[in-house]
Amino acid sequence: MEDGVTATQVVFWILAVVMLVSAIGVITAGNIVYAALFFIAALAGVAGIYLILTVEFIALVQLLIYGSAVVILILFALMLTRARERPQALFGRSRPLGIAAALGLMAALIGGIVATTWTTPESSSAIQPVGLQTIGDAIFTIWIVPFIIVGVLLSIALDGAIMLASPDEDDN
Amino acid sequence: MVLSEFAGVSMPDWIDAILRIIFIVALMTIMAFALIYGERKILARFQARVGPTRTGPIGTLQSIADALKLITKEDVRPITADRWAFELAPYMAFVPVFLVFVPMPFTETWFIRDLNLGLLFVFAVLGLNIVGVVMAAWGSDNKYALLGGVRAAAQAISYEIPMLLIVVAVVMVAAGRLAVDGDASAAGSINSIVGDQTTTPYILLQPLGFFIFIIGMLAELHRPPFDMPIAESEVVGGYFVEYSGMRWGLFFLAEYTALFLLVVLASSLFLGGWNWPFGADVGLGLQIVLTLVKTTVMIVLVIGSRALFPRLRIDQLMSFSWKVLLPFAIIQVIANGIILSYGGADWVVGLVSFGLLVALGGLVYYIMRRKQGEGTRTVQTTPATPRVITAPEVTPVEAGGD
Repeated sequence: MEDGVTATQVVFWILAVVMLVSAIGVITAGNIVYAALFFIAALAGVAGIYLILTVEFIALVQLLIYGSAVVILILFALMLTRARERPQALFGRSRPLGIAAALGLMAALIGGIVATTWTTPESSSAIQPVGLQTIGDAIFTIWIVPFIIVGVLLSIALDGAIMLASPDEDDN
Repeated sequence: MVLSEFAGVSMPDWIDAILRIIFIVALMTIMAFALIYGERKILARFQARVGPTRTGPIGTLQSIADALKLITKEDVRPITADRWAFELAPYMAFVPVFLVFVPMPFTETWFIRDLNLGLLFVFAVLGLNIVGVVMAAWGSDNKYALLGGVRAAAQAISYEIPMLLIVVAVVMVAAGRLAVDGDASAAGSINSIVGDQTTTPYILLQPLGFFIFIIGMLAELHRPPFDMPIAESEVVGGYFVEYSGMRWGLFFLAEYTALFLLVVLASSLFLGGWNWPFGADVGLGLQIVLTLVKTTVMIVLVIGSRALFPRLRIDQLMSFSWKVLLPFAIIQVIANGIILSYGGADWVVGLVSFGLLVALGGLVYYIMRRKQGEGTRTVQTTPATPRVITAPEVTPVEAGGD
């Protein structure tokens, strides 16, 4: 990695190919469990991109939250249903609507990327890694209100899930 | 860095990297052999047997003989199994565990890499292990495997949360103490946490943390009394019921390696790793001995718990994590935050944590007494797991891929 741009670029392209292939796999896999497994590969690729950008913290959190917890919950739900059977029809009557939404999102994203003026650092050594303490200070001082709101939202979601799942008789 | 220092020559990065990988694989295999032999011997003592004696001197070559048997055994795949999920699952379970070796400090300078976010790395990577378990469970197309896999996933998610919270509490204490020397941001590195425990192992500062960590560790590793995912009498071996030969061996290797690594982690976080009680001044030879002694003592405890405790039920396991461990872990984090932000002394932190541990013990004892008093000791069928699960219907024709 020390010899600069080339090695990073090679890693980037490998990750990009992995991400693209698995992202296409997610939507084309007929089997929904395969789709979830491809999803893990795509998210791991995103974590790799974060590593290239020298934000190890975000990369690890990405793996911890999305790579294991979220995908495991998805797989958990799939395994308890009849996920092995192929879905009867991949496309329903709302197909044009879906295509329109996808194209709209794509246009918005590409437009956003093109419209942004990207600042390029002088060299790769000019990029300073952001320390964990900086992130922590930012979250718990400047952004404390959004942080608390997200926390409250998550607890409400958790409580709601418990309410939905708990049996009517309170024998627990 | 380690290896270059060892050999006294400088080498290119990629050779260094390859050497480190070879080192990990060798260490991992030897550890697994030693642990399996140790487990069989210790367990045998608990059950008034002698364990393996025939292969090699006092049975020491038994694990190697078993490994040879596994390698030469036929690798069977059920015809209805999902080909890709079934064949890739062992690797998916094995590789994350393998990666956890990276930030483990065996002495002050012997580690693969001293990651600044080492603790987070351990849990982020170890969590991926469960993906392999779930793939195996689903891919085997066997209802026992599926049940075992669902249990394993539920257990892993439930016990990961209190464990992570308690690690946060430990990092808070470490950051408070390291801030005195100047660099609190190093508190995420396992090696600097060990480096801080020259006089005080963190078990004195966070006794509740040690307790929750050990419980969570046993649950994450599917060790008794938390071995419902692989219980022979309930789910005939769980998620690897359909595996044979070396693929089964990989699951086994992953499990024992994870046991070794989590025990090293526990002894680094709470028992002072290579540091306490002699300090960093002793030679590296003695540091590795210290690490291994602490690790061995804890491994004997873990193996002993297999012989001493009866298996829990799955609903007891879930209740214990969500209703007891998680609230206490949260209280510990909040208490540490309050004490440390007002500059409380170390003994206050330790005393509060010990008080919480006593409260936890008292609460569990009280609940158990009350339940016994009610006379409801018969097995209650809780509707949580058994009702919902419908095993996938076996359609022999389907088998994806062939």
